[in-house]
Amino acid sequence: MAKIELKDLRVSFGASPVITGVNLSIPDRSITALMGPSGSGKSTVLRVLNRLIELYPEAKVSGEVYLDGQNIFDMNVLELRRKVQMIFQIPNPIPNLSIFENVALGLKLNRLVRGRRELFERVKSALEKAQLWDEVRNRLDMPAGKLSGGQQQRLCVARALAFEPEVLLADEPTANLDPENTAKVEALFLWLKKEMTIVLVTHYPPQAARVSDYVAFLYKGQIVEWGPTKDTFTKPRHELTEKYVTGRLY
Amino acid sequence: MTVKRKVENITAERMVINWLGLGLFALLGVAAVVPLFLIIGDVYIKGIDAINRLGGLWVFLTELPPTPFDERGGIGPMLVGTLYMTALGALLGIAVGFPLGVYIGEMRREKFANVARAGVNVLVEFPTIVVGLFVYAVMSLAKENLNQYLLGPLSKVLSPLGGWITWFIGPLDGFNAYAGAAALSIIMIPYVALITASAYASIEQPLREAAYAIGGREFNALFVVLRKAVSRAVVTAALLGTAKIAGETAPLLFTAFGNTYYAPFTGPTAAASLWIWYAAQTPYDVQIASAYGAAAVLLTIILTIFIIARIRG
Repeated sequence: MAKIELKDLRVSFGASPVITGVNLSIPDRSITALMGPSGSGKSTVLRVLNRLIELYPEAKVSGEVYLDGQNIFDMNVLELRRKVQMIFQIPNPIPNLSIFENVALGLKLNRLVRGRRELFERVKSALEKAQLWDEVRNRLDMPAGKLSGGQQQRLCVARALAFEPEVLLADEPTANLDPENTAKVEALFLWLKKEMTIVLVTHYPPQAARVSDYVAFLYKGQIVEWGPTKDTFTKPRHELTEKYVTGRLY
Repeated sequence: MTVKRKVENITAERMVINWLGLGLFALLGVAAVVPLFLIIGDVYIKGIDAINRLGGLWVFLTELPPTPFDERGGIGPMLVGTLYMTALGALLGIAVGFPLGVYIGEMRREKFANVARAGVNVLVEFPTIVVGLFVYAVMSLAKENLNQYLLGPLSKVLSPLGGWITWFIGPLDGFNAYAGAAALSIIMIPYVALITASAYASIEQPLREAAYAIGGREFNALFVVLRKAVSRAVVTAALLGTAKIAGETAPLLFTAFGNTYYAPFTGPTAAASLWIWYAAQTPYDVQIASAYGAAAVLLTIILTIFIIARIRG
């Protein structure tokens, strides 16, 4: 059963079309990678899924997106963003806030917890899931800005996980990380997919090959090819896909 | 050999030019701060001397100002008036200026935000005496109705609380502390708004997206999550704005008017800056001295706020 269903999604910024008709179904409890060269519209598709696209007043969206059969544009945006959390390309903890507060803030603002005890448990469990708890347990009051880049990104994962989301969107989450932290984050995703649906945007085909179950190849605002990762990488049906996965299209 | 000598010459020449250039800039830098230290030095030397002559610090900070025939006196009412009006003006200035700044900084898609931004940009450069004149005009027009329908009945309702309440709430005179505070807040609002707007505008897009992703509601994203990211700049702006209005004189001329006694805030109210302006013009040494003392006190207040702002920023 598809967790997310996109039907004829079109997005344009002002006069220039960015997404020109995308149809895609994203299976539950799996990692679906959206890969493609810069400017192919991967991040835009991702920002439609939790409606962050609405932050860009010049963006026009048409088409339908269903989450569990429900049109996301009819949903309450707060409920949608609670279920569909996101991790960004640049680690973006709120710099002046402490590690604890960064994870706790969203829960507090959305009134998802009752009492300090529950809040602490939720923050702790989110940090544990993000494999960060052991590194920060003794300095939860430290400003998040003082963590290393890799730790900041895992903090952002924890912040997203604190919502206990059904879908996790990741927009090139390892683009600014070193290989060691990249491996950590990828391992984390492989573990998290047992509990949630992950949509991973990457412009690095080997990453898609390593972690994803399904892969969609976007090019100039359209999906060129889409299917199980293994098939796409070993037997691409489209010439463009073959060029891309072999590093000859960028 | 010749080539090498040439290189050495160029190097020496460049070093000399470099020293001359740096020296010139250092000199200009000194020239820029010399007036600052001359003013501060002059005010404190004469001010501290005056405060000692007029009866010491405590007397100076609490007692009524000297008449031409007194030997001691202070600026008690002026200090109270300045603190009261500055505090009210700053609170109002932040309460209005901060949301206004978020509006013009963050909601650029709104058409009216551009109008508001232009308006605020003009207002920040407005002659402050015009602001005072404006509040004076509004006060003159609104006073009668305000007193008859709101403040008169209100003070009757509050009268059981005791006499002290009439110092704060009651029918207003044409000149009063609230008009002064209003004029000061009009000077502070654009200042806070512009700095808030530029602080919000400088937030990077990833952080803004994070705020919306975790905050959900726009109000939460803007006023809770992103505020934490800009709070340092905004607090600094608020402190500097407060320091700025604490020393303003022109907007108080037509609004607070000035006083030499401890008097209800509903009537003419004393202010340190107004006292300096008045007393320094008199021919009496003792009043001129009290003006210098008042200047030293006012400067201390402003420098303290300024230093706090610097340390925090």
